[in-house]
Amino acid sequence: MTVHATDLAAVTQPVNTARGLPSPFYVDPAVFEEEKKLVFFQNWAGLGFAKDVPEPGDARPISFLGQPLVMVRDKDGVLRVFQNVCRHRGMILIEKPGKIQRAIRCPYHSWCYELDGRLRTTPHVGGPGTNRHDDIKRDELGLIEVRSHEWLGVVFVNIDGQAPAFEDYAAQLLARWAEFDHPAYHGGADSSFKLEVDCNWKLAVENYCESYHLPWIHPGLNSYSRLEDHYHIEQPGRFSGQGTTVYRPMPFGDGRQFPEFPGLSEKWNEGAEYIALYPNVLFGVHKDHTYGIVIEPVSHEKSIEHVEIFYTKAEVTGDDWREMREQNAAMWKEIFVEDVFVVEGMQKGRHASGFDGGKFSPVMDSPTHCFHHWVATQMQD
Amino acid sequence: MDRATLDAALIEAHGAGDKRRLVSLYTQAADAAEAKGDIGACCFHLTQAYVFALACGARQAGALHARLLAHGREE
Repeated sequence: MTVHATDLAAVTQPVNTARGLPSPFYVDPAVFEEEKKLVFFQNWAGLGFAKDVPEPGDARPISFLGQPLVMVRDKDGVLRVFQNVCRHRGMILIEKPGKIQRAIRCPYHSWCYELDGRLRTTPHVGGPGTNRHDDIKRDELGLIEVRSHEWLGVVFVNIDGQAPAFEDYAAQLLARWAEFDHPAYHGGADSSFKLEVDCNWKLAVENYCESYHLPWIHPGLNSYSRLEDHYHIEQPGRFSGQGTTVYRPMPFGDGRQFPEFPGLSEKWNEGAEYIALYPNVLFGVHKDHTYGIVIEPVSHEKSIEHVEIFYTKAEVTGDDWREMREQNAAMWKEIFVEDVFVVEGMQKGRHASGFDGGKFSPVMDSPTHCFHHWVATQMQD
Repeated sequence: MDRATLDAALIEAHGAGDKRRLVSLYTQAADAAEAKGDIGACCFHLTQAYVFALACGARQAGALHARLLAHGREE
């Protein structure tokens, strides 16, 4: 830990007296390196989206904080994440997204792996034309699988393999949103976008957690979703965010509205919630659609927000609903783009030598403080 | 197909990344070697064919594996 412990002690004070995370957490690459292990690899981090490997045999390599990983849908339809390296010489196995016909073949010496990671054959390993050797134990040389779990379309990974089961890790959020535990359908290319932002990943999380900024950064919301219509959501150690009590989607030009998830309780008639599940996944749930945002931490000062929108029925993914999906995606993109100058401005601000982490509003900033407290606690372990 | 023609076809198929053609050509090379009693060369070519059959999902993979297994070269 390169940041003095007293700095973090200030972060873990109650919100009334706490300070924000110190600036090295945003501008020091050494802290970013430590976060990889202590914040990301020890927890369940967002890696990508299951919709990117929809069919058996689909494979998608992803570099995550320097780790070469690959998402694979095996022949039984199970989504798996592996370290994307051959057990022989450490060669990268899959360079680009595509369909694996039957086996993953290393492009170097052609060791072949089943889609479930088992080592299938080791050509010429015992000499030309001999594919076996007593010291090559195939059952010990399968691909290194990374624990993974899919929820609300997002693929989470626990790189170090030591975190509690995802169902326990995110138990309070799973319970809170149990009513959304239905199949959801990705809207397709028009429901997918990404934003590259020049900021540390945490600033994107922090900005998402709180509603304090809404009237200033998203003035378009003031007419129908006022600040006082929002409430804080805080689950110390796991997630925080905000909710609204006035989600009223505008009908499309022909009067249509997106179909709703079945069986929702009254709360969701006009309710919607926006939660950051630590460390790097942002969700929004509404009666008629959800979205997930995986924040990819590219470097200590650069992040990519991968945004994917999901609907309640397969029919909504068809052409009949395309214009409405485009309109919905455009609405969200406009809001998220409005946030870019804020998170990039805070990133620049973190280079001010006198900045002390910042003073929270005891009333309005508690979801952000909840996140800072969690990061500080992870980094003190 | 004589050896020179087969080698040229293999080079061409490798260059084109035509895995199904490679399965076929390496199997032909294996068959020719086996006919001459050269089991080492046969298994080399069977291995090549088997790997490309696995890579492209060719139905011959099972039969190629069985031949290698019969020669004690596979698991």
